[in-house]
Amino acid sequence: MALFKLAVRNLRRNQRRTAITLVAMVVGVTGMVGLRGFINGQQDVLLENIIKGRLGAVQVHRTGYVKNVLTSPLQLDMADTPELRGRLSAAPHVIGVSPRIEFGAMVSTPDKRPQPEDGSDLPEADQGKTSFFLATAIEPESESKVTPRRHGLINKGGRMLPSADAPELVLNDEFARGLEAPVHPAGAPMPPIEQQLALLAGDRDGALNGENMVLGGTLPSFSAGDKRIGVVPLAVAQRVLRMEGHVTEYALALDDYTQADAVRDGLKAKLGPDYEVHTWAELFPFIKSLTGTQDFIFSIITGVFFTVVLLGIVNAMLMTVLERTREIGTMLAVGMRRRQIIRLFLFEGVVIGTVGALLGLSVGLLLIAFTHSRGIPLPAPGANVESIVRPWVSGRFVVGVLLGTPLGAALATLWPAWRASRLRPVEALASA
Amino acid sequence: MHALVLMLLAADPTVAELLAKYDSIMGPAQFEAEATMTATREDGTARTYGMKFLKKDQDKFRLWFSEPAAVKGQEMLRNGDNLWIYIPNLKRATRVANRDNFQGGDFNNADVLRVNYQADYDGKLIDSDAPDAWCIELKAKSKETSYDSIKLWMRKSDFQPLKGQYFGTSGQMIRSATFTDHKEFEKGFTRPGRIVMQNELVKTRKSEMRTSRMTLKVDVPAQRFTQADLGK
Repeated sequence: MALFKLAVRNLRRNQRRTAITLVAMVVGVTGMVGLRGFINGQQDVLLENIIKGRLGAVQVHRTGYVKNVLTSPLQLDMADTPELRGRLSAAPHVIGVSPRIEFGAMVSTPDKRPQPEDGSDLPEADQGKTSFFLATAIEPESESKVTPRRHGLINKGGRMLPSADAPELVLNDEFARGLEAPVHPAGAPMPPIEQQLALLAGDRDGALNGENMVLGGTLPSFSAGDKRIGVVPLAVAQRVLRMEGHVTEYALALDDYTQADAVRDGLKAKLGPDYEVHTWAELFPFIKSLTGTQDFIFSIITGVFFTVVLLGIVNAMLMTVLERTREIGTMLAVGMRRRQIIRLFLFEGVVIGTVGALLGLSVGLLLIAFTHSRGIPLPAPGANVESIVRPWVSGRFVVGVLLGTPLGAALATLWPAWRASRLRPVEALASA
Repeated sequence: MHALVLMLLAADPTVAELLAKYDSIMGPAQFEAEATMTATREDGTARTYGMKFLKKDQDKFRLWFSEPAAVKGQEMLRNGDNLWIYIPNLKRATRVANRDNFQGGDFNNADVLRVNYQADYDGKLIDSDAPDAWCIELKAKSKETSYDSIKLWMRKSDFQPLKGQYFGTSGQMIRSATFTDHKEFEKGFTRPGRIVMQNELVKTRKSEMRTSRMTLKVDVPAQRFTQADLGK
């Protein structure tokens, strides 16, 4: 204990050096905390976009659906009964149940003007186009609870589907622009049928079917590569696919998406072998590998940060040893053990490490609190939705920094401490 | 010796001749036909579609579906590069593309409603692995064609098509066809009565087109090939 007091006193003796070392530590720790917080926030945005914008936290299908070679097999459907919906929404943590059908569809745009009277071909630019897209049929009411983010992102001038039986669809905005399909103003009378869009799809048995529609709204992209997508009303899709009363998917919203695994296990047991239940992480493994990569890069960056800070401590301590050679000589001469010398320097390292960690954490957490409440707007790569990143760090991370920094500082002091303990008292006393 | 080689070369038909033969067998200038297509899907279920064809001139097609009930009343029309489908639900025609599949089967629209290899592809004779057949390799002239390249085997004795392999943009084989049941539908006109199109991407899928009746002696009114006639 006396050694500890001595260590603190030693640090306070050379205030400038202590201050410089502290500043280095504070900058290092703040940087680490801030970076972790930002990465956490950014990963949240990514997850939210995926979970609350597209997937839902948990999905229920007929067994075999997800593994099927085709992306959306209509044969693996289930009767959409109030009883089944009730069983799903009765599960713990479930706050929303949305019935869906995902299917490959085509949207066909009308010719821009009538065929010329003389029988000649319409110029290609004026011809209607037919394009494939991945359609998700939804009930807007139930879906708004599961993917509120998608609902909230409809571009200006458009609207989400007004009902599950509206002759309207919503397409990705770039896709719609490519089709040159304008948004039909809300409340305006429907255009004549030859100027409407056609939603075409093979029905459950493969026979082509279609319905006339208008474009009700457009959605921005959440992430790169999801341009050819659209949302259509469930009842309309069921008619086109000749699957009235049937769906292929239930997407569930949870009050806490981290409970997805538990909810999945509970539902699996409850629903039996005819159904399969998947969490967002299983449905979108890409995101796990992405966050994994980010975490790996983060650990490399913090490793470098930490090493630089610790090298600073090594340097400062070596200077101290050099400066305090005579003092160390004296201590050894009056009978202090070499072990005690080592401990003294280690204590100095631990103290400076602890103070540095505390200060750095305080600054870092303040920074996080500030940016968390303000939010950092950040355009996600490949997507044209601006995301608001709200940084945060976990308690475990804070404790880790609090324990790890002094430990690292102590390790960094080991070598200078050992050198000090190896001094010969006579020579040390004689040095200038 | 040289003379012999020259003679052999002279005996070979040119690619242009072979393509002209193919087009005239698979898509005579004018005909009326009835056919059924059975599409087998990856889950093992199959569905059979009945249809009637009418063709006139180079590239005018009309098609009526008669069964099953789900597609009864649907019609298709090709006029030059324009391809329409009429769906009773829609009460109008919409454009579809050559490469879209034909009623969810493994043929695409152009396989069924456009036979004009001479116009769509550049061909070259390549070594054939079958001694009794010519083998031609076709390369698409434009992006509008149904495939990027095709390998076609035609019987040496009568130029009947035997086998086809169809390739996509990446050079991957996406479909393969076998032409069998060659039959003289009308005096002097023989063509395969059965074409099996195998999906090479999803091996459990295939579609079979059987022609039950085909006649070249028809009187086809030009009005059948107008959009206004659809659904009438």
